Amino acid sequence: MPEPVITVRNLKKHFSVYKKEPGLLGSVRSLLRREYETVAAVDDISFSIKQGEVVGFIGQNGAGKTTTLKMLAGLLYPTSGEVSVLGFNPWNRENAFQKQFSLVLGQKNQLWWDLPAMETFLLNQAIYDIPNPRFRKTLNKLVDLLDVKDSIQIQVRKLSLGQRMKCELIAALLHNPKVLFLDEPTIGLDVIMQKTLRDFISEYNKEYNATIILTSHYMDDVKELCERVIMIDHGKKIYDGLLSSIINKYARNKILSVVFAAPVSKNDLKKFGTIKHLTGSSATLLVSRKDATKIAARLLESLPVQDLNIEEAPLEAIIREVFGNRAKIA
Amino acid sequence: MSLTVWSVLFTSQTNVFGYNRAEMISYIFMAAILHGLVLASALYGLAERIYSGDISSLLLKPVSLFSYLAIEEVADKGRNILATLIESGILIALFQPEIVLPSAYTTVVFLLWAAGGVILNFLFSLLFGTLGFWSPDTWGPKFLFFIFLDFSAGKLFPLNILPDWLQSALFLTPFPYLTFMQTQVFLGKVAIDKILIHSSALLLWIVLFYLLNKFLWHWGFKNYAAQGQ
Ligand SMILES: Nc1ncnc2c1ncn2[C@@H]1O[C@H](COP(=O)(O)OP(=O)(O)OP(=O)(O)O)[C@@H](O)[C@H]1O
Ligand SMILES: [Mg+2]
Repeated sequence: MPEPVITVRNLKKHFSVYKKEPGLLGSVRSLLRREYETVAAVDDISFSIKQGEVVGFIGQNGAGKTTTLKMLAGLLYPTSGEVSVLGFNPWNRENAFQKQFSLVLGQKNQLWWDLPAMETFLLNQAIYDIPNPRFRKTLNKLVDLLDVKDSIQIQVRKLSLGQRMKCELIAALLHNPKVLFLDEPTIGLDVIMQKTLRDFISEYNKEYNATIILTSHYMDDVKELCERVIMIDHGKKIYDGLLSSIINKYARNKILSVVFAAPVSKNDLKKFGTIKHLTGSSATLLVSRKDATKIAARLLESLPVQDLNIEEAPLEAIIREVFGNRAKIA
Repeated sequence: MSLTVWSVLFTSQTNVFGYNRAEMISYIFMAAILHGLVLASALYGLAERIYSGDISSLLLKPVSLFSYLAIEEVADKGRNILATLIESGILIALFQPEIVLPSAYTTVVFLLWAAGGVILNFLFSLLFGTLGFWSPDTWGPKFLFFIFLDFSAGKLFPLNILPDWLQSALFLTPFPYLTFMQTQVFLGKVAIDKILIHSSALLLWIVLFYLLNKFLWHWGFKNYAAQGQ
């Protein structure tokens, strides 16, 4: 058994926030007596991850995913519990540790806004002590793979969101980190760009046998990249295992999106499943998972179908399902 | 540069605040140069950078935050000094005032103390930065600090014009060691036998503020919220 690369034991992070009522009166009142409230952002989480695994962190907004990653990266001091990454305690922020990992936060950037991304790359070369030939080789490869040759010489503030995200990723990967924490790397990108980024991440994982934790709200990201998922809700881990087994267990529905050759009526469609959406000749239907193919076949027979897609239910729906079930059991 | 430059250059008064004309002019130039060298700092926005989570990307990299900030500070000071030197150069060329020049020994002491002042002010800036670990409102404390600084570091006027009791009180604080004592040693107004005492005092303040910083940063990092996401 290889040693796990990441071990987390009984990790907690509680934030103390004070409540302030709106307006002037609220300000005065909060000066006199501040009412503190504890937010248990991460509440007793344990797991371990082996080298080369790509694990998906999933959970609703505010579940505690980003907070956990920030503790793994050594930015936040845990309220209690233990973290070990590559044998280091991230909190000590040792250089030897920092040279081996990267944290990419979706919107927060390390790129210098007023300079071309290339300047940040060069600064990173100096900071991470990357020998020139290796730097050139890695850079050229990343630039090629992500197709950003033209973007890296342009002032970052003038780039599009997608171009910026790609440069952000390059800056994070120049030193070939063995461990990668990606917080919503595909947020705000178009479908094609998301796909490009996913393929790229998968490629990186295979080539360097890198260990990756990824958070995302998109089913496609998680499904394509992560065999294993850790589901978090209100700071607690509620599932840790294969993605496929929770999909099979909890995703009761699939989504049929259909485009018809001519407009169809609600009545024609009702008998096939729950109509989520219908405009003119395109519709989405919620159908039970195990009957999805059968229903699709029947649709094709009885209506003038031009195009048909069977999709997995959105991640959030599955999360709600798992959480709902757990609440019932508890 | 303060308005007093003009008043001194254009009045015929020979003795102001116990300084003769040449000394006064030298004081003003020295105070201006030291202001650019010591007091101006690129780090007055540090607390905001901490509170907003801006420093996160630095904290993730294998580089010490303090070295990085020190480099920023040095780069900024370089620019400042250049500007002040050009400004002073022009004024001196225009008016060709008499300037007091120090001896070699006092020049060395002056340079050492100036370096000490730079370090002390850097430590002050870092200390203010730690406010950002707890609060977004740093305006109040900073405002008070700058007002106090203006009066106590000899920026607006030489401290010698203050009543004795106030001068003694000020010397219980680190403020006179930021720029004022440097101007005094430059003008040869510090007795040789006092140089060691003042040097020790400056060193003591540096050590004290270093330790205070160490403690507050350690505590602050535990409170760091890495916001912005
Ligand atoms: N610095 C902070 N101070 C106080 N509370 C915080 C702080 N950071 C996060 N929280 C709270 O902790 C909880 C978890 O936040 P976190 O950012 O980890 O969620 P998340 O799972 O990443 O959500 P999302 O999917 O929206 O990104 C939230 O309730 C949030 O309000
Ligand atoms: Mg998040």
